[in-house]
Amino acid sequence: MTMDRVSGAFLTLLGLFVVWERRVLPLGTASHPGPGYFPLLLAILLIVLGAILIARGKGAKKIRSVCWPEAPHAVAILGCCLFISLFMETIGYRLTLLLTLGFLFGVVERIKVWLTLALTLGFSLGTFWLFDSLLRVPLPRGGWGF
Amino acid sequence: METTFQNLVLGFSTVFTPTNMLYSLVGCLIGTMVGVLPGVGPLAGISMLLPTTFGLDTTSAIILLAGIYYGAMYGGSTTSILMSIPGEAASVMTCIDGYAMARKGRAGPALAIAAIGSYIAGTLSVVGLMFLAPPLARFALGFGPPEYVCLLVCGLVVLSYMTGGSIVKNLAMISLGMMAGMIGIDQMSGYFRFSYGITALGDGIGLVPVAVGLFGISEILATAGSPEIRDVLKPRFRDLLPSKQEFRDSIGPIGRGTVLGFLIGIIPGSAHIISTFVSYALERRISKHPERFGQGAIEGVAGPESANNAASEGALVPLLALGVPTGPVPAVLLAALMVHGITPGPLFIQEQPVVFWGLIASMYVGNLMLLLLNLPMVGIFVNLLRVPYRILYPTILLFCVVGVYAVNSSMVDVAIMTVMGVLGYLLRKMDFETAPLVLGVILAPIIEFSFRQALAMSGGSYAIFVERPISAGFLALALIMILLGLKPLIFKKRDWRDRLSEVEKGCDAP
Repeated sequence: MTMDRVSGAFLTLLGLFVVWERRVLPLGTASHPGPGYFPLLLAILLIVLGAILIARGKGAKKIRSVCWPEAPHAVAILGCCLFISLFMETIGYRLTLLLTLGFLFGVVERIKVWLTLALTLGFSLGTFWLFDSLLRVPLPRGGWGF
Repeated sequence: METTFQNLVLGFSTVFTPTNMLYSLVGCLIGTMVGVLPGVGPLAGISMLLPTTFGLDTTSAIILLAGIYYGAMYGGSTTSILMSIPGEAASVMTCIDGYAMARKGRAGPALAIAAIGSYIAGTLSVVGLMFLAPPLARFALGFGPPEYVCLLVCGLVVLSYMTGGSIVKNLAMISLGMMAGMIGIDQMSGYFRFSYGITALGDGIGLVPVAVGLFGISEILATAGSPEIRDVLKPRFRDLLPSKQEFRDSIGPIGRGTVLGFLIGIIPGSAHIISTFVSYALERRISKHPERFGQGAIEGVAGPESANNAASEGALVPLLALGVPTGPVPAVLLAALMVHGITPGPLFIQEQPVVFWGLIASMYVGNLMLLLLNLPMVGIFVNLLRVPYRILYPTILLFCVVGVYAVNSSMVDVAIMTVMGVLGYLLRKMDFETAPLVLGVILAPIIEFSFRQALAMSGGSYAIFVERPISAGFLALALIMILLGLKPLIFKKRDWRDRLSEVEKGCDAP
């Protein structure tokens, strides 16, 4: 299986999904297009382009040739992003960043403990002071005001 | 002409206040740092630092952001010359002769010529911007919905051709981006589209989370954990000044690079990168000693660096005059302007003269500041390069989160950023370009609105797009670009876009 064929198949499926999801939106007429008109045109275009990629994808690189040497780091960083997305408003900016940066510096990158502590505290508290207190950009404080 | 100079005086009176001068200086310094650090391009830099401008008045905010933009273009040359690692993609060509000069102990003159060339190109391009943008905006005032649709479609097709790689993949990315741009409330009917009950998606998915995710987070995901081998050459400041011969050899390349860069900058696509390639190739072709190129020829630094800076300012012409971003960085600048309540377009220069001319004047001042500050401070910027990437990337992640959250104080935006980061990471792995996707997201609502208006005007006839001469001209150009893009697919031949794509990928790593 080549990369172009896999991505072409994905794009075609996505186009079909949009065509299906669009059914709840009125199509309107050509003279008064409704909210579903333009998404339908785009979905058709995506399906056509996906089909071209599938049809012409025979000579492309094999999907197995893709290397993932950074995958462990990527998964850890992605986990951090998800953690931030889910918990920052609940537990506050400073605590979320303390935990996230502490994990990345201390666990993922195995930086010395004193440096991890200094960087984690410095960045999470320092950026809160910079953005929230100094630049008046409101950042979440969490349930207990921290 | 007289009006232009009166307006310029207005611009300078706006900039020459202590506060705005300070913001210009801060923008230039931050921009240089952003340009120096591999892995943090101007796009991620502007997106991350956008929240710092929220408390500022519009003019100061735009001056600061513009400073970051062209400061980053300056800064990219430092790492190219001293480490042979481009700080951002447009400095790829500078690596070749700049690093060769540094290895011969001529890092100082290479840095100086890069800075002087960038200054001259930046300043002359602002003159071009100043004279070209207002008449272009006046011309565009006559555009109706069909012309706008065709202009934007043409812009996207040109972008997909000029970006490099497969045009089919690039067009698919544009379609995908435009579909993502459909999410939210339909402007004309008020219908919620593809929002799945999430109220926060009513205003759409927002350009800042998309851009930061696709460029900032995906970069971190792709590069974290890679081995760090950084050999930084120390510039010798004793011989910072170039010799007379080096000055003489640089004048022509700087002039040609400026003109080329500015003209190419107006075209959608990776203009600032392409301009450096064209400039380098031109200098090598017309040189009496082409064998010197690659061995430390000063022309190989002067031309591309001038072209790169001229292109970055040329890209502001369609952005400010037409409201059409030609690449992801102008697109983020557009989003930043919109956050501050300004919508660039044909009426922008008329309605917001203080902001427009203040921006123009700040660019003159900013270019001079960069020249005066960057060379003495190059040692400080070099020290930034000694910060290990394993310390740098969590910090970048932190700024990405703050930057995205602060725009709407919304965790949904942070979640969108994460999703886009994963998407960008996977798309890189599958050899897709992400720039067309970003442009698709930002232009989709404008294209759809004008498209529906045009069809309503014509009573549902698509002929309106080919009956009007300007729109037919744009469509013809788009068709030519598609045919040119399909040529390598039919004849199975590699063209310059494949090589551009390879070089861009090659400089992704920090």
